[in-house]
Amino acid sequence: MDLLGGLAYGLSVTLAPANLLACFAGVFVGTLIGVLPGIGPVATMSLLLPVTYAMSPTASIIMMAGVYYGAMYGGSTTSILVNIPGEAASVVTCLDGHQMARQGRAGPALGIAAMGSFIAGTLSVLGIMLLAPPLTRAALRFGPPEIFGLLLLGFTMVTSLTAGSKWKAVAMALLGMLLGTIGLDPITASPRFTYGTLTLADGLGLVPIIMGLFGISEVLLNLEKGVEQEVFQARIEGLLPTREDWKRSAAPIARGSVLGFFLGILPGIGSIIPTFISYALERRLSKTPERFGTGMIEGVAAPEAANNAATGGSMIPLLTLGIAPNVVMAVLLSAFLIHGVQPGPLLIREHPEIFWGVIASMYVGNVMLLVLNLPLIGLWVQLLRVPYGILFPLILVFCVIGVYSESGNVWDIVVMLAFGGLGYVMRKFAFEPAPMVLAFVLGRMAEESIRQALLMSRGSFEILLTRPIATTFLALAFAVVVVPFALPPVKRLLRTVPLEKTEA
Amino acid sequence: MRRRDLGAAAVLLAFGLFAVTQARGLRFGSVVAPGPGFFPLCLAGALCLTSLALLVAALRATPEGAVVSAAGGRRFAVMGTLVALLVYALVLEQLGFLLATFGLLVFFFKALQRQRWLVAVVGAVATALVSHLVFKVWLGVNLPGGLLRF
Repeated sequence: MDLLGGLAYGLSVTLAPANLLACFAGVFVGTLIGVLPGIGPVATMSLLLPVTYAMSPTASIIMMAGVYYGAMYGGSTTSILVNIPGEAASVVTCLDGHQMARQGRAGPALGIAAMGSFIAGTLSVLGIMLLAPPLTRAALRFGPPEIFGLLLLGFTMVTSLTAGSKWKAVAMALLGMLLGTIGLDPITASPRFTYGTLTLADGLGLVPIIMGLFGISEVLLNLEKGVEQEVFQARIEGLLPTREDWKRSAAPIARGSVLGFFLGILPGIGSIIPTFISYALERRLSKTPERFGTGMIEGVAAPEAANNAATGGSMIPLLTLGIAPNVVMAVLLSAFLIHGVQPGPLLIREHPEIFWGVIASMYVGNVMLLVLNLPLIGLWVQLLRVPYGILFPLILVFCVIGVYSESGNVWDIVVMLAFGGLGYVMRKFAFEPAPMVLAFVLGRMAEESIRQALLMSRGSFEILLTRPIATTFLALAFAVVVVPFALPPVKRLLRTVPLEKTEA
Repeated sequence: MRRRDLGAAAVLLAFGLFAVTQARGLRFGSVVAPGPGFFPLCLAGALCLTSLALLVAALRATPEGAVVSAAGGRRFAVMGTLVALLVYALVLEQLGFLLATFGLLVFFFKALQRQRWLVAVVGAVATALVSHLVFKVWLGVNLPGGLLRF
């Protein structure tokens, strides 16, 4: 199937009523949780997993993807109006977005965030469409050594690009991998660390871990510090950015889109880091870098474009290789597996309706989001006035429902609570939960792939160095560790990001 | 900062050592033909080394001011929430989703937020009922019936 044919086919899939409804539900829920602080796309998507049992695989994936990119739109609203990022990926948007709001330019700020997201979202779908089919063909030649090389690259990325201490990220990644070894050994199926319990025999569930680390612990932190709810009171008018605004934002949006998309493809990056890098890049390129942080529209346009483009980019490793490059994609991978569909190089041939349907749904979803987020912005602002006292019990009950209904096992709630407590303590001690979860997911795959590779080569590690693709990945992984030390400019660029100001 | 990091590194080191002792019980195999215990043991060992590095870094850092800890009432909210959820998990299947959720919500509204009884009870009933209807009846999610059997 050629590109246009594929897209047309995808559109016909998306426009089927059930899928269209799923798409709308996804982007609506995504915007909703994007606006609400304290619950993000990761926890929400895990929560929705059991809901998708009754849906077709295509509709499920369309909905889940919608939640993810929908949250990127919603997250900026809270950043601009309340100075609280609705999502971690909108942290940077606070810097200039909220300043714009204080100067009475909330409208254009929201407008450019939505338009920038829309443009970036659309461009990234185009990118997926162009890149995924050739990558799929390349991926068909991937064996265990190549997969292992790619995963190793992911580990080095996730630990070396962390905002906080590198050693802490390494410790968390190791802890995550160690937790991932609980359950049955992937090659010999002998039990490890199960202590004779059935709950542990299947290994720890991804959903309880995610809900604990990203749902429960977030609520606990908010309960402790108290959520300020100082909603911006002035009327929001003039959502359309002026011609001058457009002139200033066009290039940042374009750069943010490209940067976000390609960074998003890389394993271990996610949608947060691209926003920091694109903000830093705009400030570098600006003639007036000192004015960043005082309400520069470029500082809103670029990172908002970057986070949306990154969501698109991160679909590529999942769709073509079946590898989750970040935590959100790990949840999406579970959604595929629940429905008995294995994403990877064979997806495009065996399930073209899912492959093209999801891609086309992202076009449609982005249009829906533009409508949801521009004319209906007032509705979401009202939502910000819901007191946290009402919100947090609801979030907790939803977490419990999500975890219990996925397995029907009460102990999974206990696992979730344990990770909720752990996540709370971790954040107090400045440890990031994301490397841990990603390593938890990828660790199992890494162990399996290297052990299979060694079986293939009868115990010789040379197999990693004689296959060009695997060797390339290993070299890249090595470079990721070494380059920041060797190239001061990279380090400086990363350091210009005002991280301490945005630790939310 | 310093004491905080020291504590965290020590806990990680303790966990790493524990994991080493546990992983030694599994068949190790060899480097060229790893057994089930190979990776756990390597990971646990690496975790120990990393925590040692963190420990050294924390020791070398200059001591800073005391850690700002949460106010008493707020800390009660955190602990109370965790304990309440734990109790909830343990009684969920006996009591059923509706009753257990009702109890949990009354606790949240009354004990943590000091709402009036009327508000707390009505709010709890409404929330439990609506989530029952939405998740169990409408979306067909599997939730325990318990005492009320529905």
